[in-house]
Amino acid sequence: MKQKISKNVFLSLFLLFGGLLFAQKSVSGTITDDAGVPLPGATIVVVETNLGTTTDFDGNYSITVDEGQTLAISFVGYATQNIQVGASSTYDISLESSNALDEIVVTALGIKRSEKTLTYASQTIKSDKLVQARDVSFANSLTGRVAGVEIQKSSSGAGGSTRIVLRGNKSLSGDSQPLIVIDGIPIVNNRSGQPGTWGGADGGDGLSQINPDDIESVNILKGANASILYGSQGANGVILITTKSGEEGETKVTINSGITFENYIKLPELQFTYGASGLQNSWDSTPGNYNSTFVEDFFQTGVNYVNSVSISGGGKRTKAYFSYYNTTSSGIMENFKYQKNNISFKQSTKLLNDKVTITSNILLTDENTNNRAPAGYYLNPLTALYMHPRERDFNDFKNYEFLGDNGVMQQNFPFNYHFLSNPYWIMNNQPSEDSIKRAISSLNISYAITDKLSFQARASFDFANKENEQRHAAYSNPTNVSPEGRWDYEKYTDELFYTDAILNYSENITEDLTVNAVIGASLQRTTFGDGVSVSTGNPGLFYANEFNFQNVHTSNQIQSTLRSRVEKQALFGNFVFGYKNAIFLDVSGRNDYASTLALTGNESYFYPSYGLSLVLSELVTLPDAISFAKLRVSSASVGNEVPFNKVNPQNSVTAAGNVSRNTQKPFTDLKPEMIETTEFGLDLRFFNNRIGIDVAVYDITSTDQFLRLSAPAGSGYTTYFVNAGEIRNTGVEISLTGDIVEKPNFSWSSIVNLTQNQNEIVEIHPDLNNLSTGAGEGFGSRLVAGGSIGDFYVSRFDRDAQGRIRMSANGEPLKLNDTASPENLAGNAQPDFSLGWSNNFTFGDRLSAGFIINGRFGGKVFSKTEQMLNGSGTSLRSAIDRDRGGVPINGVDPDGNPVTTADPAIWYSNNGIGDRNGISEPYVYDRTNIRLSQLSISYNINTASLGLPLDAASLSLIGNNLLYSAEAPFDPELAMNTGASLFGLDNFNLPSTRTIGMNLRLTF
Amino acid sequence: MMNKKIYYIFLAFGLVFLNACTDDFAELNTNPNQISSESLKQNKNHIGAYFPTMIEPLIGDQIEHNLTNDSFVRHLATPTPFVGGVNNTTYVPTWNNPYMNNMYNKVMAPARQVIQIAEADGETMFVQWAKLLQVTAMSRVSAIHGPIIYSNYGTTGDVAYDSEPELYNNFFSDLDVIVSTFSADTSYTQFKNFDAIYSGSIPHWIKYANSLRLQLAMRLVNVDPALAKTQAEKAINDPGGLIDENSENFNLYLYGGIYKEARICFSWNDTRMSATMESILGGYDDPRVSKYFAPVADASLVSDHPDFPYKGIRNGAQLLAKDTRIVMSTISEDFKNVTHRRFFDAAEVHFMLAEANLRGWSTPLSAQDHYKTGVNLSFEYWGVSGADAYLADNSKTPLDYDDTTVAGPINDFTSRITATVAWDEAGSNEEKLEKIMTQKWIAAYGNTIEAWVDHRRTGYPKLPYNYQNSSKADTGIIPADGFIKRMLFNQNERTNNPSGYAGAVQALGGEDLVSTRLYWDIEGPNF
Repeated sequence: MKQKISKNVFLSLFLLFGGLLFAQKSVSGTITDDAGVPLPGATIVVVETNLGTTTDFDGNYSITVDEGQTLAISFVGYATQNIQVGASSTYDISLESSNALDEIVVTALGIKRSEKTLTYASQTIKSDKLVQARDVSFANSLTGRVAGVEIQKSSSGAGGSTRIVLRGNKSLSGDSQPLIVIDGIPIVNNRSGQPGTWGGADGGDGLSQINPDDIESVNILKGANASILYGSQGANGVILITTKSGEEGETKVTINSGITFENYIKLPELQFTYGASGLQNSWDSTPGNYNSTFVEDFFQTGVNYVNSVSISGGGKRTKAYFSYYNTTSSGIMENFKYQKNNISFKQSTKLLNDKVTITSNILLTDENTNNRAPAGYYLNPLTALYMHPRERDFNDFKNYEFLGDNGVMQQNFPFNYHFLSNPYWIMNNQPSEDSIKRAISSLNISYAITDKLSFQARASFDFANKENEQRHAAYSNPTNVSPEGRWDYEKYTDELFYTDAILNYSENITEDLTVNAVIGASLQRTTFGDGVSVSTGNPGLFYANEFNFQNVHTSNQIQSTLRSRVEKQALFGNFVFGYKNAIFLDVSGRNDYASTLALTGNESYFYPSYGLSLVLSELVTLPDAISFAKLRVSSASVGNEVPFNKVNPQNSVTAAGNVSRNTQKPFTDLKPEMIETTEFGLDLRFFNNRIGIDVAVYDITSTDQFLRLSAPAGSGYTTYFVNAGEIRNTGVEISLTGDIVEKPNFSWSSIVNLTQNQNEIVEIHPDLNNLSTGAGEGFGSRLVAGGSIGDFYVSRFDRDAQGRIRMSANGEPLKLNDTASPENLAGNAQPDFSLGWSNNFTFGDRLSAGFIINGRFGGKVFSKTEQMLNGSGTSLRSAIDRDRGGVPINGVDPDGNPVTTADPAIWYSNNGIGDRNGISEPYVYDRTNIRLSQLSISYNINTASLGLPLDAASLSLIGNNLLYSAEAPFDPELAMNTGASLFGLDNFNLPSTRTIGMNLRLTF
Repeated sequence: MMNKKIYYIFLAFGLVFLNACTDDFAELNTNPNQISSESLKQNKNHIGAYFPTMIEPLIGDQIEHNLTNDSFVRHLATPTPFVGGVNNTTYVPTWNNPYMNNMYNKVMAPARQVIQIAEADGETMFVQWAKLLQVTAMSRVSAIHGPIIYSNYGTTGDVAYDSEPELYNNFFSDLDVIVSTFSADTSYTQFKNFDAIYSGSIPHWIKYANSLRLQLAMRLVNVDPALAKTQAEKAINDPGGLIDENSENFNLYLYGGIYKEARICFSWNDTRMSATMESILGGYDDPRVSKYFAPVADASLVSDHPDFPYKGIRNGAQLLAKDTRIVMSTISEDFKNVTHRRFFDAAEVHFMLAEANLRGWSTPLSAQDHYKTGVNLSFEYWGVSGADAYLADNSKTPLDYDDTTVAGPINDFTSRITATVAWDEAGSNEEKLEKIMTQKWIAAYGNTIEAWVDHRRTGYPKLPYNYQNSSKADTGIIPADGFIKRMLFNQNERTNNPSGYAGAVQALGGEDLVSTRLYWDIEGPNF
């Protein structure tokens, strides 16, 4: 009805002005609900230009618009209204709480669209939810809030990287990470180095460098059908971040100040009664009385400070937003320090009769991390801590160094063993520092050419300067460090330049038929890891403990580095046809031109997507209880990227000045990986939208996987690449939303997200039965046709037909070590399904609370730590078995006689089930866990009654990762490696931590 | 006016797109820090510059050599109980094919390409030089595993292995072409820039090729005496000659790197003098010991022979904690600063000639004289004197060994060697061969692949057995009074190259176990 009126208004205006002249002017008004209550935060968008504003606390708005243009006014839970601007300068609108819920959502390239036209699933998280718990690693706050998203945080502590996977792993060799986009433009989310079995430390990622307080909302585009306009880099889904903008009106200042305290949740179960009699392993058979607190005393209470200020304001033409954010985190291990400063400035100005809008945005980050917690065997303080021989006084190690006769500080440590060092020596004399200085600057110009046609051009430059350094003092563990010390240093830049131009046209072809067309072109150039690096070997340095290039021994090579350099150009288009505002057909296409495919003839490739959305509630009469119903279906195919410099790599100069011949087989018919996806969805809302259910079912098939294979010895090459293999992900996502209680003095809203994804490797490569993606001792991640990504294999007991463990004559269990054999499959590290349950409550006007419970069900994980602790005789179970005189087992000796007990010292040894090479089957645990991920309680202080010069003030108590319940002896949700290898492995990872604290938020 | 401004703004953006074309994609997709084959065409670098990187890896590192052949021939021993003391050194193949992988990845693969490039450019001398490196690398790999991929290398699909009889025939015929090509152009100088071994001297490379032929022939003396004799005499009689003096040794340049055993010994504390070296060098009062090893600091370790301050570790010892035995004799500190290492030397050639003479083949000198020349050349190489007195000694025999870090008989052994150094012309051929092989073993220090071949095919020197023998049925049982016979095939080949693997096992003539003898390793007496 309203639609029709505006249509008529438009037509009469058209007739009046002949479509030639439009006057720019400012209109204002108040947006209320149907009861006349003002709606703060309602969105007003000029449809033709995509420019918009929101209402203030009193529901007031003001916007500059041309006569004849259309304002779309929207608010969650209410029907969107379109108003044609006429001669009046005041438009007070009352929104109807409507069946046809229609929110404007941000889609690919920053294009705002009405939700009901979308043919794919999309879920949005507003900033208040995102920063509710003030998690230092904010990406973690997405956990459980969105269906179809798997998030795992690195075990390395604050500032660590996050593994995010949308709808399953889609690539055998790539890591299936989604694209991160800020205000429509891709940013760099490179993950730095990751630890392996032998050691190393996480190096953080690009997402963690963003100021979470700058985020207005995060929208997750889960499937390729949603992200096709980003082309191949969006094939794994997109995380769209919309940043805050200045708001017209009085200057608003917001201050957040928070402090949280961090403690470990659970340590491995250790024994403190049996010593080592001077040896390295605590395998005494008579108990003693030893210090039982040195392990817990080693860890400290970490303190995190999060402080931020933002200033927002502006006039009719120009608006600005400024923010500063500071985080420091001290971690639970001495010497860890994480510091991050963010400054951002965003402004937009309207020019030339408000037809042109220029928006610029600058985000600056300065991040410094000292001594990220390593994982793995080598140079990890936790190995010598946990395995410390019990009869020795651990406090002696605090004097970690002494001056040797040669005038060089030497390590105070009694053992000569490749993965044990004095923990305090590692922390003090092998310090590491990672620093990042980053600027993301962008410029956006849009021009409303006519009321139907607008043009937008953007450019963005994301530049980061990164420096990673570790200085190993002389007398560090000689396995890794040469006698004069060792220097690992790299300094490089990561750059991403992006620009695009987009034409947007919308037209009502007939009264019932509308079309919205977007066509554009983009160019993106990335240069990653452009810099210099050195990692000294042996001989390493000329003079002890001097770390600079001059002092690097000539036998080492100082390398110019370039990790990748890629240019991509694209032409794209998207057409949405609407019929009676109830049926929408969405057709998109994109053609990519990728430099990584140069010389293959495949550098230009096109892919389409199609989708249909049926708003049933507009088409047919539904029972009253159903307030909205939408069916959607879509299908897309997208090319997935291939890496840099794989087609025709060249040769390298060696440290001695010789040339090492490239022996990778040239790959001149390389193709992009293809991902084909089909999705069905149903969006149902009941009882005036108080209850909603959204179900998505998808099928994603990835083919032409880019695989690096190690060439068989006889082939004449060492490595080669193929396009082969097929992976299928099928899954269901269910999102239930409910405003369960809506009383003036109490409300409770709740969201349940269920994610279920099944991954199947249909085939890998005809010549290859399996593909190893990372292995440790007695543990290997392996891809096998018929298996799934995340499968891992372990060594297992040799059992007889009755299931009894076969024992050798020496009382050792026999091992089946062929970790490639299908019988040795331990399981898959991915959960069968995940549940996230988030809740928000209000009690009266001032008190609110929220919590999230996350559950992962199914899946397996593996603990090398437990195996090592058994081997060193420091695990609690090794003491319990010594106390009771043996390990109860169900075994059989070579003569067929039953064996019911085993000698703990043999059973838990390297030849039994312990140490590096023991049977690893006993260390496979269920990944299932349920946790209280977030809890916050906020109180809005009555500033007026207190006479404070504040608009608003709230004090929150917050907690993250408070409790969890799991079978595994470590937190199965913490990832040692956030890359695509070594899924589910714990090898002396830092224990999981909980944080509890408070936050004060002031607005004036 | 207004429109004009707008046009300027968009023109600026438009320029970015005008710039965009895909012509530079190929260049963008290359790494500027790599060096292209095109750029290398200057100075024949496109062929020659790869040679140093194919020569340098011929000697392996810790797991390839130190914990494999160095231990099997009892030159060096580890104080470290790797993998709980269950590993290569106790006859469980833990590090099975790293040397093989290196030889295929770092020698065979680049050499194959270099040969193609050189053939295309008509550079036949470079072709044969690369072939010579392939024969060198693959003859060493075969000494470890048996049948290997050689003549079918670089073909597609399942690749068939060469059986050892095929392999040796292929090596010999390749050497025929190499030697004849080199001999036809002895004044060729183009190797010079790339040759840190012989500075591009073709006559020296001919001597090496002939010496290699002799070495491969000697491997076959028991299994195919006729072929061995033919090839040995061909090598001996070639006008290009053999490596006859230390100045003609193939000394591998380390290209600025460290002598690998020095890093393993001094940085990692993972290798020490072997008990067998202590037994033999101590027993014979061999002056080379001070060049090979360093005395111990703690005199109580050598309480069994205070005048000989060296103490080694038994190979295949029972090791509980690493720290216990790192106090034992390191290698000589001199190795920290060496720039070359012996790879093939004149002493070895003379010991081979001594054996050839025993077998009745035509040699320049008598067996006795070749034996003495071999010892003299080794003394000369190490810069020690007293060879005459050493060679004249007819009473000293190797010592029995006591592990002084543990009480009781753990790790101790009684030497099985009763031979003295002095040549006994009246002795039997077996007795003479034992002396030759024992001296060849001492002189081979640092160069243990061929010493392992010699020990397997002749049984000399009479080395001590393992104290700890963890061998097991799935990888092969080694008897308590036996020695490991080989390393397994690359187990990835079972899946990646199943028919090739099956053929290899068939050619091996036994199961793919460490206890299966290689082709030339025949039970029974040497004569």
